Amino acid sequence: MNGFFQPGRALSIARKEVRHILRDPFTLGLALGLPLLMVLFFGYAMDFNVHDIRLTVYDQDRSRASRQLAEVFQSSGYFQVRYRDLGPNPAAALDSQAAKAALFIEPHFERDLFREGTSTAQVLIDGSDNSTAGVIGGYLSGIQQAAAQRLTGQSPPATPVQITTRYLFNGELNSRWFTVPGLSVVVLAILGIMLTALTVAREWETGSMELLLSTPVTPLEIIVGKLAPYLVMGLIAQAIIYLAARLLFGVPFLGSHLWLLVSTLMFLAASMAQGLLISVVTRQQIAAIQFSQMAGQLPSLMLSGFIFPIESMPVFFQYLTMIFPARWFMIVLRGLFLRGAGFSELAGPMAVLLAMDVFFITLATKRFKKDVEP
Amino acid sequence: MFSVEVKNLTVKFGSFAAVDGISFTVEKGEIFGFLGANGAGKTTTIRVLCGLLIPTAGEVRVMGLDPKKGLEPVKAKVGYMSQKFTLYQDMTVSENLDFTSALHRIPKGEYHHRRKELLDFIGFRAGTGRLVRELSGGTKQEVSLVAALLHDPDIVFLDEPTAGVSPAFRARFWQLIRRLSRTGKTVFVTTHYMDEAEQCGRIALMRDGRIIALNSPEKLKKEAFPEPLYELTPLTHSRAWVGKLKNERSVLDVNPYGMRYHVATRDGQAFRKAAGHMRGDFEIRPIRPSLEDVFIHLVETKK
Repeated sequence: MNGFFQPGRALSIARKEVRHILRDPFTLGLALGLPLLMVLFFGYAMDFNVHDIRLTVYDQDRSRASRQLAEVFQSSGYFQVRYRDLGPNPAAALDSQAAKAALFIEPHFERDLFREGTSTAQVLIDGSDNSTAGVIGGYLSGIQQAAAQRLTGQSPPATPVQITTRYLFNGELNSRWFTVPGLSVVVLAILGIMLTALTVAREWETGSMELLLSTPVTPLEIIVGKLAPYLVMGLIAQAIIYLAARLLFGVPFLGSHLWLLVSTLMFLAASMAQGLLISVVTRQQIAAIQFSQMAGQLPSLMLSGFIFPIESMPVFFQYLTMIFPARWFMIVLRGLFLRGAGFSELAGPMAVLLAMDVFFITLATKRFKKDVEP
Repeated sequence: MFSVEVKNLTVKFGSFAAVDGISFTVEKGEIFGFLGANGAGKTTTIRVLCGLLIPTAGEVRVMGLDPKKGLEPVKAKVGYMSQKFTLYQDMTVSENLDFTSALHRIPKGEYHHRRKELLDFIGFRAGTGRLVRELSGGTKQEVSLVAALLHDPDIVFLDEPTAGVSPAFRARFWQLIRRLSRTGKTVFVTTHYMDEAEQCGRIALMRDGRIIALNSPEKLKKEAFPEPLYELTPLTHSRAWVGKLKNERSVLDVNPYGMRYHVATRDGQAFRKAAGHMRGDFEIRPIRPSLEDVFIHLVETKK
């Protein structure tokens, strides 16, 4: 009957579910392998820091000053300088992908510098790869200052207003510190949604749901019993990511572990409720997988601020991200890891997560009950 | 008291009536058969009776209980073996039975006793530690039956329990069904097989959500064929006489039956006379109607 709950029956279902998990290499592999794979992939392969950018130098001046300028680029550590003679096509190096940027030093570079006190060099940047292009642009202003100092032998004149910048929380702007904690969002969203969607859809597909329903077991017992083991798996996945972040990549964790646990549970609950909703609607494993990939990956990868900063999205998308739990969990995670955010700071996003939990769980349970209860 | 009472039961899915105002009763200890093509409404009716589906209209009593007043008491009295195989293939026989028993909250001592009794009943020898997926199709069905009987229901609903198993297993399974009925349990079974239907106490023939005939196999045959039925064996390749026979007034219908033809008559004597003129085309022999004849006849004539 409605709301009737026998812990013993829920436990039996949970125990059965654990058996399924332990005997199904796919589920187990997905739950343990996915976090590891993602951490290694995003931690090592997807390094957003840019080093050793290939820079082709067209030095038409061939003077001491022009060579010094190129040296400044080289010694910055960001560029790998290669000299080339200027051909008919000035962008040849960029066209052929031999370089990401090209430095043009005009004849009379040195003469202008000493006669007029100022001289110009041009940098062409391959704009087709806009993330690299942005980074190169950022490096250039630093290089300009260094070059001025080196070539004129004196510090740049004091300007009336000087802005000095220091990056807090992630002093070196290490992109791994930024991405690895956020990985939890992606991994838990995919795991939570997909595993739940699969487990319920499988019961429908094989017909065993009918067996369940012909017994006095209640919908609430089915839901609790089925979700509990996956909740534990989600926590294990989170632990794997946490340990990898701390031990492999040295990401600091300045916040409270309690809040990490609480917010992880909240996010998992929201994801699993979505998975339940999907499986109730599709009732087929194949369709459930496809749906859950959409629902799991798209928001967590694209709309959570994981890869693309929300602030730079069009206004519509900025609002759109708000309806996904992924965005709020991302805020909590980055706050906890890098800033040591306290409760007062996290209360907002956590309240939103809690509200989403209530919403999704209510919706999923209602739909599920409507389906299984005649 | 009846095990099942159904009055004007209707189940609609959208505008489609899967079950369309059927009424019937099933007596205690009876083997009651449901016969009909796929989509005739057999499974839908069973699901209502097992408390898996709320009917659109009509009155239902299962072991005297009204499902509208609560499904749990109904589920406690009812055993259900679904058309689909519902045990978990990746779990052992033992684990499956433990699980079912836990859902029914059968006390431990009682469960072990029931389980042993039922496994003996089906003559189970494969070993309860075996994974279900390793069992043969027939054994799987027998274990399903055990799972459906664990909580000692008064009535079991078996939805096509012998679909896809070998003839030897079918015979065995029907032995079990008869023995169940002898212990006082009501057995409600659906099937496609006519030979199985013959073994039921009474059968209901369903078509398009309606019951078009309901009686014991013997009475059904008498009802459908008050006059004799004949089997004609063609002697030549010509089938011109089939059309002629269909136009005879004494002939009810002519249906192909393998290489032969079965002719239902309105008047046996008149038919023999008419057929006498066509001697040489076929051999003629009176036969006892089978349920298949009844089924074809009813479906053909009630179109």
